[in-house]
Amino acid sequence: MSVVVTGIGVVSSRGAGYDALRTAAEGDGLPLTEVDRSAGHHREPGPTSSRHAALVPDDATSSLPPMKARRMSRPTRFAVVASRLALEGAGLDPDALSGSELSAGTGVSLGTAFGATMVSRQILDQCIELGPGGISPFLFPESVPSAHAGQVALALGARGPNAAISQGEASLELALAVAAEYLVTGRAERMLVGAANEADTVLHALLDRAGALAGAGEDGAGRARPLDRRRNGMLLTEGATVALLEREDVATGRGARTLARLTGWVRAFDPSAPPGDWGTGAAPLARRLRGELERLGTPLGAIGGVVSGASGSRRGDALEAQILNATFGADLPPVCTPKGSCGEYSGFSLAATLHLLAGGRLAGGDFEPDPALGVVPASSLGADAPSVLASALASGGPAAWLVWERP
Amino acid sequence: MDGPAVWITGTGAVSPFGHGVASLWSGLLSGEPAIGSVGCFDATRHTTRIAGEVELTEPRRREGRTDSHARAAAREAAGAPGAIGTPGAPGVLGASLANTGVFWGTSTGGMLEGERFWWDEQGPRRGRKAVAPLAAQPPGAPAASVARELGCGGPVTTFASACAASTMALEAALCALRRGEVAIAIAGGSDGLCELTYGGFNALRAVDAQPARPFRADRAGLSIGEGAGALLLETEDHARAHGRAALAVLAGAWSTCDAHHMTAPRPDGGGAAAAVRGALRDAGASPADVAFVSAHGTGTTHNDPAEWQALATVLGERARNVPVMANKGAVGHLLGACGALEAVVVVQALVERRLPPTPGGGPVDPETPVDLVLGDVRELPGGSRERARLGLSLNLAFGGANAAIVVAPAAREIGR
Repeated sequence: MSVVVTGIGVVSSRGAGYDALRTAAEGDGLPLTEVDRSAGHHREPGPTSSRHAALVPDDATSSLPPMKARRMSRPTRFAVVASRLALEGAGLDPDALSGSELSAGTGVSLGTAFGATMVSRQILDQCIELGPGGISPFLFPESVPSAHAGQVALALGARGPNAAISQGEASLELALAVAAEYLVTGRAERMLVGAANEADTVLHALLDRAGALAGAGEDGAGRARPLDRRRNGMLLTEGATVALLEREDVATGRGARTLARLTGWVRAFDPSAPPGDWGTGAAPLARRLRGELERLGTPLGAIGGVVSGASGSRRGDALEAQILNATFGADLPPVCTPKGSCGEYSGFSLAATLHLLAGGRLAGGDFEPDPALGVVPASSLGADAPSVLASALASGGPAAWLVWERP
Repeated sequence: MDGPAVWITGTGAVSPFGHGVASLWSGLLSGEPAIGSVGCFDATRHTTRIAGEVELTEPRRREGRTDSHARAAAREAAGAPGAIGTPGAPGVLGASLANTGVFWGTSTGGMLEGERFWWDEQGPRRGRKAVAPLAAQPPGAPAASVARELGCGGPVTTFASACAASTMALEAALCALRRGEVAIAIAGGSDGLCELTYGGFNALRAVDAQPARPFRADRAGLSIGEGAGALLLETEDHARAHGRAALAVLAGAWSTCDAHHMTAPRPDGGGAAAAVRGALRDAGASPADVAFVSAHGTGTTHNDPAEWQALATVLGERARNVPVMANKGAVGHLLGACGALEAVVVVQALVERRLPPTPGGGPVDPETPVDLVLGDVRELPGGSRERARLGLSLNLAFGGANAAIVVAPAAREIGR
């Protein structure tokens, strides 16, 4: 049984909508905002520290009724708006799902790397200012990492399985694997699946202090440069990407348009990775990837392109390149790196994958190869190959790969 | 229910009764709660002051309280001390480590470490503190900690779905084993005490000042707890090939969502009932096969009636006569870990053929007329002719998530 994407919704710094994200991927990338450093949590500014993040403008979620939005954290708002867009894109009325015969068969699987960090911090600040008795009962439920998944179900009436998946930078891909599992085992007929993230100033400051974010550089641009010799970190984004993933027979039965087919997934772990860092286990990871692809009936030769999760991290991208080289050897197909323009954590790589599967391109730009990696990004996928591999490595060891097909 | 049978070949627990399944089981059989004063933070500032706290025995640098609970439970489930593969001396998991997955549930993750960092960050060292301790904070950290500890190379997936998280993790492990993605899975969950959660539940007025009294007429809320539960799951063929016997069989699992309210269950228990029905269907079983229930049983005003409605909907007339255990009265509510710990108890109950009592006094609420195991340990009816042989465990969560598992005794697999 196969599963297909029939709709996609995106909330990004370019606003609400998939087309806005495609424009960013093809053009100059996501609009960036200078992050407010006045609270004093950032390290000293300089070429190696980050100044920017891709922050969502307030009007991107203005379609939500204020009475409902006020009880939602930022990532929840992003996820609900993106979910509605995904349903609309799939030809389903988001306001008609609740109470309909579709409700019980519709589930939610959303990734989050950090959960609702701003709400949690607000609660901790209340604890300091007012004591624990000052904690708001309205804020607390939004602090749990599953709040966005629960709120999406509540807003749309999705009574199928409801999963919140959290495994760092691989959260989106693992949420997709979980959603696909629910579908192929008959636990749901359709799943709203994706990821959401908020990029508040403290998260930006802490990731920057950890050395995870692309430095501003001499020109202050702060570009993430996946697989580039000059890479020095990733681009922090906020927003959400949600796709409607359906059992293919269900989608076909209602005459839905298919954007992509998910034919398999591979999950693995690198036990050599310390907490919060990347490991050295390229060989066993590549072995597992090859073995699982074989088990899934996907020969390496059928994979005509890779949508890489390389984000600009020095060690993460090196591990990614080693795995790709160990897996494909001299037959490495074109490798696209959408996180250069679309950044990390908000699921935009899924939207970029669909864009690339549809024949879209990524913006080029100045790229300096890293001889130690031996992988040069391409601006588009191979035209003829039936399958595309999308990869994600997370700091701390988790890894996931998805096998996509063009419709 | 396509795919091979999935055996439970090991269990592990860290609970307020101590480290290990034996401590948990003997504590539960005692009928006394392990809920008392809080030592890991100053609870005197909070509205209530008790919890089910675990004595932390092995903190490690860059790992948190929840990680520590997770590692200890997983090691026990995997057969420690031999579980951990070392060069030339593979443990129980041995050559299967590359194909071993970790499916984990948590809710708080490393929030305790996160809140300590944040409060310290507000001081004079703002902007200059090392951020390395925050590696323990994301919800995915405990699962990674387990996989790192045991050397697992298979899937690592964390369900952060609040109080249904680890039951959903068990469901995911079951699916992965049936589909052949892994040969072995460590499935479970862990959570640690923290002030945000403790204060948050108090803000919701959901915490009892005394140890929780699930299903009692005078119940006044839950007790927060911490700990971990872990199960070693294998396909039957894999276990047999490695000479391991089944403690029990994970026969079915299912999850749903109420889509009703962020913190309150559907009063009619409809979502939870759908999860139970799904789990029974997944096990190839019927309601008549249920021998006992491990209830979510938080002791809150809203949970227990909704859960009763769910059980009444599925079990019908039998609902009043099927024994129910509610272990949160003994260890507190372990949040994202509760489903895993309760699964460990279900396995132990099937192995020992008896059910531990639920601590606390007071009559059962006539609005929730479950057959709550009270006072003495309850023997499970034995004999091969006994139809009702399955243990059912149910969990309900914030955000409306519901998850249920069905566990069969090792001797006979239901429905296959």
